[in-house]
Amino acid sequence: MAKKKYWQSFTELNQTETHQKLAANEFREELPVVSGEGKGIENASASRRDFLKYLGFSTAAAMAAASCETPVKKAIPYLNKPQNLVPGVADYYATTYVSGGEAIPVVAKVRDGRPIKLEGNTLSTYSKGGTSARVQAAVLDLYDTARLRTPVSISGDASTALAIDAADKAILEGLKDAKVALVTPSISSPTTKLVIAEFLAKYPGSRHVQFDAVSYSSLLLANEASFGKKAIPSYHFENAKVIVSLSADFLGTWLSPVTFAKQYAAGRKFDQKNPELSLHVQFESALSLTGSNADKRYTHAPSAEGTVAAALLGAVSGTGATGVEGALKKGIEATAEALKAAAGKALVVSGSTDPNVQIIVNAINNAVGAYGTTINWAAPLQVAQGIDSEFETLVADLNSGAVNAVVIYGVNPAYEYYNAAGFAAALKKAKISVSLSERLDETASLCKYAVPSHHFLESWGDAEPKAGSYTLMQPTINPLFKTRQFQDSLLVWAGSANTYESLFKSTWTSKLGSADAYMKALQDGVVEAPATVAGAAFNGAGVAAAVSAVSGKKGGKYELVVYQKVSLGDGKQANNPWLQELPDPITKATWDNYAIVSPQFGKEVLKIDIADSRQADKYEVFMKKPVVKFTINKKEIELPVLIVPGVHAGTIAIAVGYGRTKAGKAGNEVGKNAYQFLTYSGSTVSWTVSDVAIAKTETWYEVAQTQTHSSYEGRHEVIKEVTLKDFKANPELIREERNAELKNYGGLDNYERDGSPYPLHDRPGIKWGMSIDLNSCIGCGACSVACTAENNIPVVGKSEVLRFHEMHWMRIDRYFSGNPYDADSVQTIYQPMLCQHCDNAPCENVCPVAATNHSSEGINQMTYNRCIGTRYCANNCPYKVRRFNWLDYTGADSFKDNQLTEGVGKLDPAVFQMNDDLTRMVLNPDVTVRSRGVIEKCSFCVQRTQEGKLKAKKEGRVLEDTDVKSACQQACPTDAIVFGNANNPESEISKVRKSNSQRYFAALEQIHVLPSVTYLAKVRNAEHIAGHAEHEGGAEHAEAKHEEKHA
Amino acid sequence: MAAFKYESHVREPLVEGKKDYHQVTEDIVRPIESSPSKLWWVGFIISVILLLFGVYSIYREVTYGVGEWNLNKTIGWGWDITNFVWWVGIGHAGTLISAILLLFRQGWRTGVNRAAEAMTIFAVMCAGQFPIWHMGRVWMAFFVLPYPNTRGPLWVNFNSPLLWDVFAISTYFTVSLLFWYSGLIPDLATVRDRAKLKWRKKMYGVLAFGWTGSTKHWQRHESLSLVLAGMSTPLVLSVHTVVSFDFATSVIPGWHTTIFPPYFVAGAIFSGFAMVQTLLLITRKVLKLEEYITLEHIEVMNKVIVLTGSIVGIAYLTELFISWYGQNKFEGWAFMHNRLDLFSPYGWSYYLMMGCNVLSPQIFWFRKMRRNLFVTFFMSILVNIGMWFERFVIIVTSIYRDYLPSSWSTYYTPTIYEIGFYVGTFGLFFTCYFLFSKFFPVIAVAEIKHILKKSGEAYKPANEKVETESTEEFYHQVSHHH
Repeated sequence: MAKKKYWQSFTELNQTETHQKLAANEFREELPVVSGEGKGIENASASRRDFLKYLGFSTAAAMAAASCETPVKKAIPYLNKPQNLVPGVADYYATTYVSGGEAIPVVAKVRDGRPIKLEGNTLSTYSKGGTSARVQAAVLDLYDTARLRTPVSISGDASTALAIDAADKAILEGLKDAKVALVTPSISSPTTKLVIAEFLAKYPGSRHVQFDAVSYSSLLLANEASFGKKAIPSYHFENAKVIVSLSADFLGTWLSPVTFAKQYAAGRKFDQKNPELSLHVQFESALSLTGSNADKRYTHAPSAEGTVAAALLGAVSGTGATGVEGALKKGIEATAEALKAAAGKALVVSGSTDPNVQIIVNAINNAVGAYGTTINWAAPLQVAQGIDSEFETLVADLNSGAVNAVVIYGVNPAYEYYNAAGFAAALKKAKISVSLSERLDETASLCKYAVPSHHFLESWGDAEPKAGSYTLMQPTINPLFKTRQFQDSLLVWAGSANTYESLFKSTWTSKLGSADAYMKALQDGVVEAPATVAGAAFNGAGVAAAVSAVSGKKGGKYELVVYQKVSLGDGKQANNPWLQELPDPITKATWDNYAIVSPQFGKEVLKIDIADSRQADKYEVFMKKPVVKFTINKKEIELPVLIVPGVHAGTIAIAVGYGRTKAGKAGNEVGKNAYQFLTYSGSTVSWTVSDVAIAKTETWYEVAQTQTHSSYEGRHEVIKEVTLKDFKANPELIREERNAELKNYGGLDNYERDGSPYPLHDRPGIKWGMSIDLNSCIGCGACSVACTAENNIPVVGKSEVLRFHEMHWMRIDRYFSGNPYDADSVQTIYQPMLCQHCDNAPCENVCPVAATNHSSEGINQMTYNRCIGTRYCANNCPYKVRRFNWLDYTGADSFKDNQLTEGVGKLDPAVFQMNDDLTRMVLNPDVTVRSRGVIEKCSFCVQRTQEGKLKAKKEGRVLEDTDVKSACQQACPTDAIVFGNANNPESEISKVRKSNSQRYFAALEQIHVLPSVTYLAKVRNAEHIAGHAEHEGGAEHAEAKHEEKHA
Repeated sequence: MAAFKYESHVREPLVEGKKDYHQVTEDIVRPIESSPSKLWWVGFIISVILLLFGVYSIYREVTYGVGEWNLNKTIGWGWDITNFVWWVGIGHAGTLISAILLLFRQGWRTGVNRAAEAMTIFAVMCAGQFPIWHMGRVWMAFFVLPYPNTRGPLWVNFNSPLLWDVFAISTYFTVSLLFWYSGLIPDLATVRDRAKLKWRKKMYGVLAFGWTGSTKHWQRHESLSLVLAGMSTPLVLSVHTVVSFDFATSVIPGWHTTIFPPYFVAGAIFSGFAMVQTLLLITRKVLKLEEYITLEHIEVMNKVIVLTGSIVGIAYLTELFISWYGQNKFEGWAFMHNRLDLFSPYGWSYYLMMGCNVLSPQIFWFRKMRRNLFVTFFMSILVNIGMWFERFVIIVTSIYRDYLPSSWSTYYTPTIYEIGFYVGTFGLFFTCYFLFSKFFPVIAVAEIKHILKKSGEAYKPANEKVETESTEEFYHQVSHHH
């Protein structure tokens, strides 16, 4: 059987030669295909196999070419992993933010050995977890390319690096037998004080001078006169029902704004069941952040600040408001009545640099029973201790040779001192001068040596911003450079065997009693004594003299107020691009200082009538602003001017903190230095100038504003505000207004369903939501910087902001209303604006590639690597929160060498500073760095929601509010932002929305995009809402509406 | 031959001068066979230079980013999409002329359809540049194509009007190209047959697809024309409708308008005819084709211009009325403040648009003006300026001040590279048009021959007696003569 043979043909049977040949072939018959040359396919020059090879190769090549892979940078893993370090898991260390005298307890988030984010320390009763924009931005200073990296010896413009030993040797040589002045900002740190004492003891005849760029000498001197204490009490704004501020920007820049903002917010939180609010009255000349939040605001000439204080004292004490007239007089009288009515629950603060004014204010506070209630002498504030005259004396002593050595830390008098040139000349006379500051700033570069100190995130230390409230500092990273903490330098030069760390440890261990208590304190970051409140005996002897000293002061037609911006403060952080790019709350300008002037100034001098919509249009749609030459104290300066409603007619305001020359790439030559306009009055440095000459120039200068239109044009769909009076009369006012807006689409109750022809989606599980209380938002911008830090938001620089290209995911919209020509009538409202995470998002359906879509948790998410950059989503966003990467801001692009330094699309040095490998260490590894050509926007901090969910999951429980906080929410000093799972009835967001149902609204609710971010309407403790037609009667409001339109 | 009966003697002849079939071929094909004139070279070189500048502008934009343009966080689309819509609009006349007028048996289309169709194709090519290069990451542009991929369930978003654009424009381009090319085949064969040079014979031989002029070929050609005309007709309406959806389906006041589809289509035809006028007035002069593109042609097209211009005008007014009458105050603001207010930042552009598009075409109510070449040429330019501003007004003046006053934009002016891109598309358009006029018959030879004996000046008088004859007599005559 096995041998049985089948055959198909005879040829096969016979196994002819032809057959065998054919059988060996795959195809027995000739293939019918004929190639171009008439040959069979087998003989064609390119075989089928070759064709497939070519096809495969060319496809692969095209794919490889198209994918534009970025070069892979390899990270080196730990050979021996440190015990407590898990790559990818953040550690948190309590430490302290210090700038000048200011000290804020913070918690540093450290990822893989790098601090990348600062949060407020909630264990502190001093700050209650609040932060400011500057605190949020401080982490970037750690990685500043302009930091001095080694000790140097300096001669002229050249500096030579020194080894620390060589530097010590040279400096010790120089300090031998010298009479040293140690110049620092206000020092509240108990251990640093020990160090300083040891240092001074080593050099007899030496002294410690505290110099505050923004000094509170007037307050210290006035308190010495009134209470016999050269100190500043702590304030309790939360206890005040009536708050009166005389030019004190206590929410933005005055003394301890972070803590004050927290306290202030307590009186602004609104309970709809028990509708009460504190009353905040502001008297000022320019428009400050604090003034913009006031319920009532009265403006006056800067020179009249004493007169106003005296009149208020008169009105409070019953002798009548004298020296003032008109609306101001009425305002003062009404304020006095309110203060008296709220005796024991009233507080008056003044930002004046005149001790006499502060004495008068002390008298008012005494009269209204503030001491022991809203002002606490039991725990004085220690953030400002510098006395102006002491530094004045030091300069004289340097010139006379009474002091011949200077050691400077943390201050920059060659820039910040009113007489910087005088100081610089005096410094030259010292036989040795050493700077311990972190950078080679204006002052350090005049010194002979600089031994840079650590950044606070690399340091040990402590601070006592308020007596009894200690906040500790521990290193969160090894020093990046060859720097040494300034206390250590002082100890070395004092010949001490101690290091500061050991001194710090032993001091605190003995203070707290045990090593365990020390560890606990270090972990917590704060040590606090039980709080007590006490008044002090008021000595009114100097009041009459003070009143007569201030009365009758008159200024010229134009007067100057020098102020600090919320973003930059005294200018120490001028090289911080995050702060430079943070829009000023009032002007929304970035990267510059300028002169703020009133609409009257605009009309008379610039011939721009901002009440005229045509002229206002022309003024606002171009970034270039007219330049005016100001002659102030015989010094001339040319500055662009910004017209700001709410500024007193004759007032010109210029911010300090700009015009740095040795700050670094980003901060140099930004704006002009306004410290030069301060004057020394004999006891204090004055921040006002009573006569300014002006001359309009023909030049223009571009000021980079992020918002140019200032009125909300009566669009109550965007913003809702109501007076306390009206709310009490009808708590349903806001709901009625909403119902009217929605009545054609089902009204309030059925709107969600009837507002759309499409069926509703159910939203099971988690539904993220955010509520923003417009009543407690003060517009400070801390959220904006926090968001920048958390989400790796690129800095674009002035050139790009000018082109309206800034990238902030979280911005604060600021609107004015009222009559621009009546400064007192102007009201300001802030609206934090971020992606609203609409459930019916108009951006989602227009993306051709579905790069933006909705998560099952209600987050409107961006898929960066799917985005092709059509920008349709940005166009279709009613809130205009989407940001496009116009250029390669991050250096993360796969195209090489595509960052221009000139021509169209040029980038500023600040961008390159941010792209430096050092600066990039601040990047949050949980968040993608976006490349050129894609859209980005608020993600509801999706990296945080994911982390929070994981945490809850690992612990086998449901998600709680504490698991997830958005960066903006965490940074907000007034807790205006609440974020969480709106589907959980127990979550704070649900509770806030429910308990504030009468103020609840969504911006542009009527277009049925169903935002997940909702707002709570602002309630003003004012007579009326400027320009609000529906809640007022008569012709007055019609007129107001008209005016508002043009504001 | 039945149509012969209905050629009205009232109508002017569509081909002037004593022409026979040979003369027609001679007149139209001659420019292809002779070397181009100096004027042609000058025009061509200028076009290529413009094109190169456009290429450089795009190179800048792709390399450095869309920041090479002055768009901003509020104005995400400006010149780019304005130019896109403008070019797409221009690309409408060709298909309208070839398809709809073919279906309506409008004999006059034969003189102009070839050039108009070519213009359509080039305009759509120009238009297509903008949505492609306006992307932030153009190297990922293929994401808009629904192709099977390894990215899991990731697919294009069929809800997005931009995706509809992708389909609408590509379909339109393909069909227009086929239509144009199928019409060219008999003429290309003519060129081939006349060719004396070897390369020419070979090139046109390939291009003519082996056309022999057999009855079967003609029959298929006619059927194909009809089928393509049938396919193109809805496209003429749909393409600009879809483009208008880019705006109409959005939530932005001034964009979100239900009137957009018909308004855009009318505007597109309006601008398309204007562009046809511009080009043909030059072409007939330069190539000496006045006898084929006659005053009659120009007058007819001017009638279309005044009609569509007036439709557009009605649309503008309707829109304006509704914004006032309606209860949407945001829309009211967009129209009353951003546009109608002459002194608002962009008010001037609205009035420029109104003046060019609505007022100026009314001059064509006068026959004298319709037949005046200079007026026509000037008007054709004016209309296209106006139509450019229409798109600019719609796009920019709507978004630069929309819902949130905080985001109202600063004044938007284009950068040199933004302008360069636009200018570059002119370069592309005219480079293509110059090459076309050199290498292809700018008038459909075969189709002209088709109407020559009923509408040609030399034949028409002889036909006039037909008008008075009865049908029976006519048939009798026809059957006996042939």
